[in-house]
Amino acid sequence: MSRKIVEISGKRLALSNLEKDLYPSYGFTKAHILEYYRRIAQFILPHLRDRALTLKRYPEGVEKEPFFEKRCPSHRPPWVKTAEIRLDDGEPMTMCLVDDLETLMWVANLASLELHVPLAKAASRETPDSVVFDLDPGDGANIIDCARVALILRDLFSQLRLSSYVKTSGKKGLHLYVPLNRKETTFEDTKTFAKAVAEIMQKNYPELVTARMAKKQRETKVFIDWSQNDSAKTMICVYSLRGGEKPVVSFPLAWEELEESVGQNDPEKLQVMYSEAVSKAEKNGDLFQDVIVKKQKLPHL
Amino acid sequence: MRKSRSDRTPSRSPSVRGDEISPHGIWSGTISFSLVAIPVQLVKAVETGRVSFRMLHSEDYSPLARKMFCPSGEKIVTPEETIRGYEIEPDKYIEITEEELESVSPERSRTIEIVEFIDMKEVDSIYYDHPYYLVPLKGGEKSYRLLVEVMQRTNKAGLAKFVLGEREYFVAVKSRDGALALFTLHYSKEILPHEDILPKEEKVEAEHKSRMKKSIKKMMADFNPEKYADERREKIMELIKKKTKEKAPVEAPEVEVEEGESPADLVAALEKSMRKVKKNR
Repeated sequence: MSRKIVEISGKRLALSNLEKDLYPSYGFTKAHILEYYRRIAQFILPHLRDRALTLKRYPEGVEKEPFFEKRCPSHRPPWVKTAEIRLDDGEPMTMCLVDDLETLMWVANLASLELHVPLAKAASRETPDSVVFDLDPGDGANIIDCARVALILRDLFSQLRLSSYVKTSGKKGLHLYVPLNRKETTFEDTKTFAKAVAEIMQKNYPELVTARMAKKQRETKVFIDWSQNDSAKTMICVYSLRGGEKPVVSFPLAWEELEESVGQNDPEKLQVMYSEAVSKAEKNGDLFQDVIVKKQKLPHL
Repeated sequence: MRKSRSDRTPSRSPSVRGDEISPHGIWSGTISFSLVAIPVQLVKAVETGRVSFRMLHSEDYSPLARKMFCPSGEKIVTPEETIRGYEIEPDKYIEITEEELESVSPERSRTIEIVEFIDMKEVDSIYYDHPYYLVPLKGGEKSYRLLVEVMQRTNKAGLAKFVLGEREYFVAVKSRDGALALFTLHYSKEILPHEDILPKEEKVEAEHKSRMKKSIKKMMADFNPEKYADERREKIMELIKKKTKEKAPVEAPEVEVEEGESPADLVAALEKSMRKVKKNR
């Protein structure tokens, strides 16, 4: 087993199994994954900061069963920051906070390809920083249908003077965020808002949208999952890799890119690979920056 | 209102251009044999003239929904609670799962591969199941026309197997009025034996035979389907037209889809915004 000791900001970290192929059909090794997270660090860290991380680890690669790990592994280096989180009134649980490059590297070294975070910070677990709309295509629908729905939502929110931002899920769908960043907001508010929006979308675009979870009702439609607006739920962090066949990233898109892909009906265009992710982020900066800073207020709540 | 059947020209083929994929298309792919591959789209060739009615609740005209009812438990069963059973003998079932069914279903395919050409005259009409048209897509027009012309002149049809949905169909492709028509054919095993229904053989007198021949000859005509129409359908459509004039249609009550109520102010604001969005789009 190969081991390599690296030093980042004066902190020592042992990296292991660097040659292990975690995306076998693509030839993407642990070393590639570390390199990806190192280069994307400046963009992903602001979105991970202060949020209790749920790790989704793929120790045997993407073709084998992954597992979720909420508890911060006890064998962690002493410099890893943690937060005590009480989930569902149970025992408090120690969870990792990824605030710096060295912790990000340590997490990536655990083969945690996917980094999931809640919509609220660890210090204010009942205050969501944004409303999220998880657009999930049912059988017979695809990401272009999600893009259509996202564009309608963007227009709807702009009527309400709310800016919204979109990213790919890195799987089949899209995630649309409306930043709030106000300490008065509750998950009850965001859930109520998201549900009302999902239902009005279903009513006005019954061929395209469903607000119902049932598999059958999702066929050929885009399911707007409003129930993600919950303190117990997490979302895949923007810029995180996904544990699919290829190293695809959950990546923010400009609205123009979405319009273009709908015009060209090209679903492939909406899948961002790790390499493109790095070059696009370096060129355009963080298109998701406003999600964590922009202050907005939901109407009538 | 839909045009009644007799108003339609029954023999019109779809326009043979390199159309964009039409929204009415059922399937698109290529039709191929030896070195020929023509991109095509499958469209309906007929529409049955059946008048369909919705079942409504007599009280408020709400369209009724079907639910599965379990007589033994006397309760409504959700789709998730249902399985698929094959009745092996009365009241004895073998369960077949979705996965098992899928494992024996043919793989989806994008081609109609013609495996042999036959003389169309050889095909007994009992084999005909359902007619479709094939419309050429961009880049396929030239070879499409060529195939239409050659098959027309030789009265030949191509036989192929073709996967649509979950089933594999046995089909004949022939030319019709400058277009390619595709007929799904029954498998020979589906054709029921008819020996039982034949009357016992008896000697027929020559005189009777010639008399019948004469009566048939007297009634001979050209095949002219326009002369025939589904009169009941036309009468129903007339009745509906008349009733619509006399009496405004009753609107069904809107179905409430919400489980919990959303705040009225929020819904009103969203609805107002939605109207603007729809206007601008």
